This record gives sequence, structure tokens and C-alpha cells, in this order.
Amino acid sequence: MLIKLAGGKVYDPANNIDGEIRDIYIRDGAIVDTPPASEPVHRSYPLDGKIVMAGAIDLHTHIGGGKVNIARTMLPEDQRGHTRERTALTRSGGGHAAPSTLTAGYRYAEMGYTTCFEPAILPVNARQAHMEMADTPMLDTGGYAMLGSDELLLQLMAEGAEQETINDYVAWTLHASQCIGIKVVNPGGISAFKFNTRELDVDDSHPYYPITPRDIVRTLSRALTDLGVPHPLHVHASNLGVPGNFSSTLATMDAAEGLPIHLTHIQFHSYGAEGDRKFSSSAAQIVEAVNRQPNISMDIGQIMFGQTITVSGDTMRQHANHGHAHPNKWTCMDIECDAGCGVVPFRYRDQNFVNALQWAIGLELFLMMDDPWRVFLTTDHPNGAPFTSYPHLIRLLMDRSFRNDLLAQINPDAAASSHLGSLDREYSLYEIAIMTRAAPARILGLADRGHLRPGAIADITVYHPADNPEKMFEKPMLVFKDGQVVVEEGRITRPVKGSTQVVRPEYDRGIEKRLSRWFDRYHSIKLQNFRISDDEMAEGIGSPVSIHPCDRKRTA
Amino acid sequence: MWNTRIETVMSEVTCPGCGLSCDDLRLEMDNGQLKSLENGCALARSHYSSAFDTASKGAEIKGKGVSLEAALDYGAELLSSAHNPLFAGLATDVNGMRATLELADRCGASLDHMNGDALFRNIRVMQDSGWFTTTFTEARNRADLIVLGGKQWIDRFPRLIERILHPAESLFSPPDDRQFVLLGPWDAAALPDELQRLSPQVIPMQLEQLSDTASLLRGLIAGRPVNARSLGNSVGSQLEELAGQLKAARYSVVSWSAAELDFPHAELTIQNLVDLVKDLNRTTRSAALPLAGTLADTTSNQVCTWQLGYPLRTGLQRGYPEHDPILNRYQDLLKRQEADLLLWLSSLSPQAHPPATDAPTIVLGHPGMAFDNAPDLYIPTGIPGVDHPGHWYRGDSVCPLPLGQLRESALPAVSQVMTALNDKLQHFAGL
Repeated sequence: MLIKLAGGKVYDPANNIDGEIRDIYIRDGAIVDTPPASEPVHRSYPLDGKIVMAGAIDLHTHIGGGKVNIARTMLPEDQRGHTRERTALTRSGGGHAAPSTLTAGYRYAEMGYTTCFEPAILPVNARQAHMEMADTPMLDTGGYAMLGSDELLLQLMAEGAEQETINDYVAWTLHASQCIGIKVVNPGGISAFKFNTRELDVDDSHPYYPITPRDIVRTLSRALTDLGVPHPLHVHASNLGVPGNFSSTLATMDAAEGLPIHLTHIQFHSYGAEGDRKFSSSAAQIVEAVNRQPNISMDIGQIMFGQTITVSGDTMRQHANHGHAHPNKWTCMDIECDAGCGVVPFRYRDQNFVNALQWAIGLELFLMMDDPWRVFLTTDHPNGAPFTSYPHLIRLLMDRSFRNDLLAQINPDAAASSHLGSLDREYSLYEIAIMTRAAPARILGLADRGHLRPGAIADITVYHPADNPEKMFEKPMLVFKDGQVVVEEGRITRPVKGSTQVVRPEYDRGIEKRLSRWFDRYHSIKLQNFRISDDEMAEGIGSPVSIHPCDRKRTA
Repeated sequence: MWNTRIETVMSEVTCPGCGLSCDDLRLEMDNGQLKSLENGCALARSHYSSAFDTASKGAEIKGKGVSLEAALDYGAELLSSAHNPLFAGLATDVNGMRATLELADRCGASLDHMNGDALFRNIRVMQDSGWFTTTFTEARNRADLIVLGGKQWIDRFPRLIERILHPAESLFSPPDDRQFVLLGPWDAAALPDELQRLSPQVIPMQLEQLSDTASLLRGLIAGRPVNARSLGNSVGSQLEELAGQLKAARYSVVSWSAAELDFPHAELTIQNLVDLVKDLNRTTRSAALPLAGTLADTTSNQVCTWQLGYPLRTGLQRGYPEHDPILNRYQDLLKRQEADLLLWLSSLSPQAHPPATDAPTIVLGHPGMAFDNAPDLYIPTGIPGVDHPGHWYRGDSVCPLPLGQLRESALPAVSQVMTALNDKLQHFAGL
């Protein structure tokens, strides 16, 4: 069956197409070349200048895994206030900051998203993360496995294991946990907290192993480069949320020694300690460093005012912040000599100096960053705000007067200590398409999406043009998933299920002997049962894998 | 491992006999019979022998054998005529629970687990204040002081000592140097041998005193003017000592089994234990280790939480989930006659029978179930981990483990029955 999207205004930055009127053809779920005129078109959508982009990709959103279920359990009030009724086509559910899986999938699709990545999968909890994502309909999903506070890696590093051995372990972890990337959270810090260490800066030694966070970042980024894994090491840097932490963030950039790394929710890592309140914006220093170092990319983790819940693997920092919990309840968990998690509800207030400045810092970072290919649109859902605030965030980036109106309403001292008001930049639709489609696909190594070239899967979003970008982005006219219309005028019309995106770097399977011995001696699970097979993904977990290539040519 | 290939000898099998979910079992089969079982405890033996003793059998309507198709038709009829169905028991695997929730959404059912009372003693603490917990491997390698409330854990979780409390090896905390403290109705002179070998300190008390004990410890640790001797001189001095040990420990673990705390408002006892742990983390490290997971309570609750946004004791009558941990207790829904159909799900144990009720009753259950009063409909279902593969959560909530398949079976999985019922109801609705 041949489908034609006729006369849409196409924004496809991967192919340098900036708002040109074009036709797009779809056959068997994929975008195809313009067929000969003799070939019959079975279904044609006259788009008459509607905005056409590839389906959006969120590269950092906490939508699956144990910590999200803890958040749901702790906040029944979050569900109660945001119910979603069952329809003839869709299941019931609800929630705002910690939505049910089904609701999350529907809402993402209703905003034109077609692929999402859970950025913090504990390998030991990977089954749950994938099961939750399999129950998040409408989306293709994937995840980053957390390493860097697992005792096994730290022990290998402390014993001076060869980089080759570490590489094998990293590759094994990607296979065993069915992930597409590696994330490090407060490098070494989650483990250090289990030894009662409350602070760990980039060059501090771990309390038990003679290694530093700098060593961990360097070793893991080297491993991913050697293995040819497309996505750079995904780094939640040391000292999240601490005033003055920008110096840790700069040191973390330095630790990569020129290898690719991605700094996530960098807003929470761009704080100075200047001024009367010892809290200030260091966005300028951070952006200057990122602009200068092409090996570095970042997503923002923008905050929005209102109630949310913070979920993180960073037990050290989450525990330190539990005094800010609103409502006053919090959970921390030490997990399996693997990692941990901390869940703290939070309400960002526009009249609070710190929260207001956090909001401004996120926007400063977006607006000062030169290269939209290296900055990604995230709220670190739900840590800065729920993902449903993306259309509002896009308006803040595209509409300077709207932004300045809101700036005038926040805590005046915070507004005065930010130079957000002096930033004139307004993002274009083309740049928004880069940040939310083309660039995430490129940095994740997803050649089959994020663009509209023939050969891409036909994940396409069509928007009504509108003066107010928030209105435009919150309710697409049409969303195609694998060539089928799944959303019309912002409502689900066809529920579908997605697949799990993974990479499979080559490695020496001999590492399993060593790992198996370690598991037998110390773990409470057998290595055999830790590992998730492709059959298990497809038949048991309910989301078949889709394998993306690694580039062994990058091997030094 | 997603095992559907059946060998004579199956090793590294995960046991759903209790929430420890030991995954080192080795089973040897001979002609569909269990020949030997290694590494299993008494609960594992009982689980697998009752499974292998049971022949496959067919569905029954009011005690009379019928075809599966006829049973499904009748089940769909009962479900479609019910206004307020109650889906309870819920002892099943992840995929069984997924399909159950899909059917519950269609039928507007209420949901509760057979262990709901125990489950919610813990969950209500999470809902009210959150908590600070650890997991099996973490405790195994790190704990240097272990405080165990109650005494049933030793029977409910038979390999806890061997696997977690006192393992052969540990990364950071030599097992022989660990201190053990028992708070509960113990007779120090008559401890089981395996416990005696750990030379525990025993502070005898009634379970109802655990709450006051935790409060006193919190006061002592905070340096408040509390009188530990209010619980008696001997206990008082032991608690004063314990407060010091907790402060000095590098990583203390406080453990309980909520099922044992079977008295009114026991969630407040757990709240106090959790607050004790949270207090200790101001200066040192400590974590709670709630022992749970029996008959899939952790499994079905996890799936319910991600699919509905709420834990169990949630109802879907109004077309969206509504949660109430008190009103939706299954025993009370039946007593108040607020449910006009009971669907009882019990695929793991032949003993876990449905409660007596006037409401029409459907049982999806273990093939070894025998009824005094036959339910309106009984569909024997496969035992997860024996008749079909599945997933099952350990009691520490973090690790869903694969349950392999051990024999060829004609019994349908709960997920298959639920999906078939859902398809029939969808057909009735003309969709």
C-alpha cells in the first residue's frame, strides 16, 4: 500500500530541509522514494502547508523501572488528580508526574513522540524497566544501563584490570540488560554513599577503592569508544544540585580527555555559589566549555514550576535533599551492589529564589548554546517537570516576549541575577526539529529514524501551523507510527506496541567465566538468570529487540 | 533465561516457594515426575512435590467436567452479567497479572491480593512517609549488624540465614563478625540450631511491643530523655546497649515480615521501624529489609502499580482507577456484599482457596485444588515455573526473575485464560 503525504511544509534537518513544501511517500511502514507517476497511491493526505517533521525522540525520560513504581506508590495524590478514563480503544490510567505506563505512552504519542529512552536502567532491574516500557504503548523504547557504582566495575578498576577486560564487561552488560547505551550516575558516588560518604567530587578518592570519579568517567568513555557504541557515555555528573557544582561539571568534561560524553540534565550541574544567597548561575561557563569542546553534548533537564517528583539513581544526593521533600515523604534504596535509587517529591515555586533561578539557568543554557545538534530538549521527566510540559518549553524557546513576560513574574531577585532577559535568541522550527528529532537519532546511532529520507521508518508527525508554538506542539494533526496513522487531532485512533532499541558490541565471551564466579560468590542471583535473552524480550517481556549497528572502526 | 526447552535435569531454576526466590535449584525429572531436588528448602520441596503430584485436569462447572471452550463461554457470561466483579487472590506471574488487569479494566473490577493485609502494612508506610530499604545482595555483602523483628521469618524464608544473613563469603562484612539481634517472642534457651550458631542477642518481647521498642531506640539514639526501662529493666538495658550498637554499626539492617505482624494498626509498628532506620542514616548507614513476596504478592502489586498507577486495592468500576487501601480489602468487599462476582486467582498453591461467599465464584487455580463446595466455575491453570515460563518478583521488589518451564503441559496459563475471556467479552460488546 502506497501512502502519500501531499504538500506538507517539511522540516527535516538531517537532510537540510528547512520548511520546504514536499510530498512524502510511505510503503510497508517505511518512507520511500517518489514512485513513478504510473503507480497508484492508495491513500493520500492533502496537507496544504501543514508542518511535517519526523516523529519526536526523547533521549532522557524516566518512564520505566523500579524507581518509577516507587514514585507511583508514594504519590497516590498524583494519580487521583489526573485520571484518564478508559475508551473503546485505550486503557484507563492516570498520573501527572509519575503516570501509569499506558497513560505515559498515550500522552507521548498525543504530543507527536514516537521513540523514548529510559536513561537509568539498573542492570539487575532491567527486566522490570523493559516490562514497563513494553506496557508503554505507541512508542519504541530503549534504555541506558547504569554502571560506575557497581562493585564489580569498581573492583576491576581497583585491581588494575586491563581496559580490554573492562570493555568486555561493559559490552556484556549492554547485551545482558538489552540496552543501547551506558549511563554513569554520580560516578562512584552511589557506592560511596553505601560506605557512608556524603560527598564525592571528581578528584576525591572513593572511600574503599583507590579510584576517583574522574577515573570512572575516563574508563567508561574509553570503553564505549573502543567498542564503537554510538551513544557516548551518558553522564549524570558529581554533586548534582550543589551550589558551586559547575566546577565539578567542568572537571567531568575534562575527565573524558576528548572522548565523546553526553552530560545529562546539565541545568542541575550549572550552579555557582556567588551572591548574597550563595547560589548563582554558571550557565555561561558551562556553555562556553561545551561550545569549545565538540566531544561534549548535553541535555538540559529544564525545570517548570509546580508539583513533581524526583527519581534518581543518585542516592547520595537524593538523601542529602530529602529535607526539601514536598509533600514530606521520601524513599531511598541501596540495590544489589549494583546501584541505588532515591525518590523525593518536589514542588518548584516561582517565588522561591533558588527554584526561580533554576528555571532561568535552564533557559540560559538552551539559549546560549551555539550548536543545536549538541543540546537536547528534556525536563529530565519527571525530575524537572513532567514531559507533558514540552510544548510550553518549546514556546519559551521560540517566543522571546512570552519568555520575558514569565521572567517578570518569578522571584525578582532571581530574575535580577539572571541575564535571561538580555538573551534575544528565538529558536526556529528547524532548530526545534534538530533538538527533538535529528540530533537525538544521530547521537544514539539510530539511522532509521529522526529524519524523512527514503529508508527511514515512517514515524512522522504533522502539526497545524500556529502562531503559538505551545498550541501547535501539544496537539498534532496526525501522527504516523511505522506508516500507520495512530493519532488524529491529538487523540489516539490506533493503539500500537513498539520494540526495544539495542546495540550489540562485539566482545570476548570469556569474561562470563570471571563474572559467573563473582556472581556465585557474592550475588544472590545466578549470572544465567541475570541475563535477558532476545526470546525473553519478545515472548516474555513483550517487546522484541531491534538491533542498531556499532562502529568497530572507532577502535583505536 | 527464558526457558521453554525441557531437559531431564534443569539447573539454576528459580523457586517461587517464598519471596527469597532462590535461583540455584537443580531438579531432575523422570517421565514427568520429580526425581530429585537439590538446594531446595522445605517450602521448595512442598511446592514442587505438590506440582508434580498433580495430573493435568479439565475445567468444571459446578463440579462437573466441561471443555475449556465451554468453561470460557460460561466465564465470559458470568463476567458480562456482573456489575461489580472482584478479582482477588491474584497469585500469578507477571504475564498472568498483565492479562488480568486488561480484563479488570474492561469489566470494571476491584483488585486485591490474598496477602493484601500483609502487603498493605508495608505499602501504607510507603504512601505516608516513604522508606529506606536495601536488597538481598546488598545486605549479604554489607550488613554488620542485623536486627530481626518477630520470629516467623525463619520458617517463612527458610534459606535467609544461608543466603543473606550469614553467607559463606561477603565483599565488605565478614559473616563471622556480624552481630545479630532478635526482637520478638523468642525463648533464648530454645533457639533453632541454625540460629543458635549465630550467637544472637535475644531481646524477648511480644510483637505488639516492637513499636514502642523502635520508638525508644529512636529516642535513645537522638539523646532524648526517654526511659527505656519502661519496658522492664532487663529489656531496657538491652535496648540501651542496642541503641549504641546501631549508632556504631557501619551498615545495620532492620528486618521484619509484615505477614507476622498480624494485629491492628501494625503499619504503625513498621512506620516506627522505618523511622528508626531513617534517623540512623543521619550519621551512619542503615537500611530496612522488609521480607515479603509470598504467593506473588510483590509480583502482582508491581504490575498493578505500573499499569494502573496505583498499588492493589484499586477498583475500576467508574472507568478509571480509584484506590483505597482500606475500602477495597477483598474480605470486606465480600462481607459488605459490594461484589456480585468473585474471580479468585491462585495458580501457585493448591491450598489457597477462595473465601466463602454467596457471590458467584470463578476460580482460576492450581490443578491440585480440591473443593468442599465446588465453585460455579473452576479452570485449572498452569503453574508458572512448572507448566509454562513466566516472571516472578523477589520479595525485595527489585529483581523480577525468569521462571522456566519444567514439563509439557496441556494446562492453559492464567494469561491465556484471561486473554480468551477478554476476547469473548470484546466480542459480546460487538467491538
